[in-house]
Amino acid sequence: MSVIKLTGGRVIDPANGVDDQVRDLYIRDGRLIAAPDANDRISAEYNISGRIVMSGAIDMHSHIGGGKVNIAREMLPEDHRGDPVERTELTRSSCGHAAPGTLAAGYRYAEMGYTAAFEPALLPVNARQAHMEMGDTPMLDTGGYAMLGSDDFLLRMLAAKEDQQAINDYVAWTLHATQTVGIKVVNPGAISAFKFNQRKLDLDEQNAFYGITPREIVKVLSRAVHDLGVAKPLHVHASNLGVPGNVDTTLGTMDAAEGLPVHLTHIQFHSYGTEGERKFSSAAARIAEAINQKKNVSADVGQILFGQTVTASGDNMVQYRNAGHGSPKKSVIMDIECDAGCGVVPFKYKDQNFVNALQWAIGLEIFLMVDDPWRIFLTTDHPNGAPFTTYPHLIKLLMDRSFRNAMLDTINPDARAMSNLAGLDREYSLYEIAIMTRAGPAKLIGLADRGHLAPGAAADIVVYKEDADRERMFEKPELVFKDGELVVRDGRIVKVVRGGTHAVKPEFDIGIEKKIKPYFERFHSVRMNNFKISDDELCECGGGSKLIAHACRKRG
Amino acid sequence: MSALTFTLRSAPAQRVDAGMLTPTALAGQAVSDIAAIMLKLGKRALRADELFDIAGDDTTDIVFRGDCSKLERIGAGMKSGRVTVDGDAGPYVGQGLLGGTITVAGSAGAFCATGMKGGRIDIVGNVGESAGGAIPGEMKGMAGGLLLVGGNAGDRLGDRMRRGQILVGGNAGDYCGTRMIAGTIAVAGTLGAYPAYGMKRGTLILNALPAQMLPTIVDCGAHRLGFLSLLYASWKGLPGPFGALDASACTVRRYMGDMAVGGRGELLVRG
Repeated sequence: MSVIKLTGGRVIDPANGVDDQVRDLYIRDGRLIAAPDANDRISAEYNISGRIVMSGAIDMHSHIGGGKVNIAREMLPEDHRGDPVERTELTRSSCGHAAPGTLAAGYRYAEMGYTAAFEPALLPVNARQAHMEMGDTPMLDTGGYAMLGSDDFLLRMLAAKEDQQAINDYVAWTLHATQTVGIKVVNPGAISAFKFNQRKLDLDEQNAFYGITPREIVKVLSRAVHDLGVAKPLHVHASNLGVPGNVDTTLGTMDAAEGLPVHLTHIQFHSYGTEGERKFSSAAARIAEAINQKKNVSADVGQILFGQTVTASGDNMVQYRNAGHGSPKKSVIMDIECDAGCGVVPFKYKDQNFVNALQWAIGLEIFLMVDDPWRIFLTTDHPNGAPFTTYPHLIKLLMDRSFRNAMLDTINPDARAMSNLAGLDREYSLYEIAIMTRAGPAKLIGLADRGHLAPGAAADIVVYKEDADRERMFEKPELVFKDGELVVRDGRIVKVVRGGTHAVKPEFDIGIEKKIKPYFERFHSVRMNNFKISDDELCECGGGSKLIAHACRKRG
Repeated sequence: MSALTFTLRSAPAQRVDAGMLTPTALAGQAVSDIAAIMLKLGKRALRADELFDIAGDDTTDIVFRGDCSKLERIGAGMKSGRVTVDGDAGPYVGQGLLGGTITVAGSAGAFCATGMKGGRIDIVGNVGESAGGAIPGEMKGMAGGLLLVGGNAGDRLGDRMRRGQILVGGNAGDYCGTRMIAGTIAVAGTLGAYPAYGMKRGTLILNALPAQMLPTIVDCGAHRLGFLSLLYASWKGLPGPFGALDASACTVRRYMGDMAVGGRGELLVRG
């Protein structure tokens, strides 16, 4: 069989403990192999001596599909007008800066060396559309985390004190029905509470109707995900996002998992204190200390970067509060079929604004103060903190202290004075960046054959030209291979491919449908059997993309 | 120096973005560089001198000749200088204009003066719909400056207008001044149905009542409004009927609305 050879690259593969060793890589049939055998012939050889080689990058939290992304697109025609992407011989035209079209998103990710991205807030009732959008996103493997926690069915179960086993079955059923790879909870129970006129919900505050607290929801869902053997820990968008002083809620949420694996997402927005004249301060040190101590906790940062973007969240309680800060001044706050909610508010982060500048510093402080790069992930919560196209810039901020300090000197001076960023000397190494953007996310989500370069792994490979300017290095890789095919050369698409969809298939008792079916018939806009997405339909609506199913080892 | 003149070699079949051919964008550029500017014609890109015969060299004084009805965004975003169109112009004339003057001898397409903040636009003929209005997604239409229309204006004149003045010598279409936030629109001729729908503030000055009025626009009686004499005096000498108004004739019938959104907009119907 024909084999592609990559000769002489400096391989950085943290999953296998390989740090900058010169190795030859061989690709056969979309997979890495140790060495060609007698029947193989080298059909193409790339001499990449001196180049840095990593596996394809994985964005474990990026809003690239589903209802709210589409609402953002609809609401911001100026974002699309202002950023047209012309067609080429290979690629189709698209557009959009903050909320790009599916095509632009796929092309841009690939051109930066990303080969997978995961939609973190896939509403079960929107799953079909979200998968269609992600299927329309070229170049990338995709997957979603199904959003539970404010859905009436779960809250009813909790209010009726149903046992953990039944909840596990419902969670597993949801994962199957929505073809997702994990479970997310957004402002636990508060999207429901919003409809009962509650405008904030603390960790131990009861939902006015169901009497359930966010702590209970985090507890049962993290238990369910663990019992079912799903690799991806419960993805938690904690309570009180953006509220000064929310650090206590965030630390409490970590404890609510009671030692089970839990992932706190866009933790920058949850790391605020109330010190100082303006009652807004950085609590990054406390958060980082907690992550360093609690080995069951992982987090992605949700770094903000200055400029125009759009915030799109299931957290309608927070977005309702923020709607007045929108720039341009427009917003959508809506309920989604009583399943959850959605809020979209365009936003411009300004470096001279005290709050925005401090948010920027807090995110970087967390990056630099969390010791273990396996448990902290590089995200901007695209597009909430900034569009994903800012990742190379963010990598430079982490890897280059003098650049970081030069940027720090330009931000709002009051915010600068409140931050200890100038005193943080750490510079991320390429090895650590590779952990954060490849090996770590693959391990977290449970993608056994991604995020590393050992024989047997999928041949998602990125070749960078070493450059002291890390932004330039990471924004334009020299070669990108997706499943063994060369798709990007010198930062330009040379072949358009379609990725697969990752989903987990935990075992469960199908008897739970006896409870779910009547619920759908009584309350839902669709029947249960139409709600479920079959494997065949997933592949069909993904435009022929393949399903990459991951089995789970039941622990419960 | 003579005016920099772009004469279309033939009328383009598809739309062309002419937004980069303004005094501001071309300031300091040699004619040879200007000739090499790539313009989009539909999905193709074309050199400027493939589309136009280019003559003259004064980038502060730009003239378009030929059938320019497919040229979009003429004079967009310019800060100073003069742009003249010999015949008809396409949509988005003077989009985001900051200063200077644009004169169109014929008619202009839709969304003329959208997002305009300063300067002056003279359209001798008619304007299409949403002149001074907001393009979809924008929260504001025209936000300053003066738009003079010799002929008629289309529907939704001044939609979401924020500031500035629009004077129409002829008639205006339906939904004039919809969702207006502030600013002044005067129409010498007749007005279509339902003006001031969703109007928050601002002033419409009319010579006659529109055929159909929304029930949320209410009659507040006859008034003599002193500010009108100052306003009329400021228009003195402008081409068209508004340049010759009697500054002492400032008794009007005042209607206010849209009451559905606070109702601080006014329709002043001249007696």
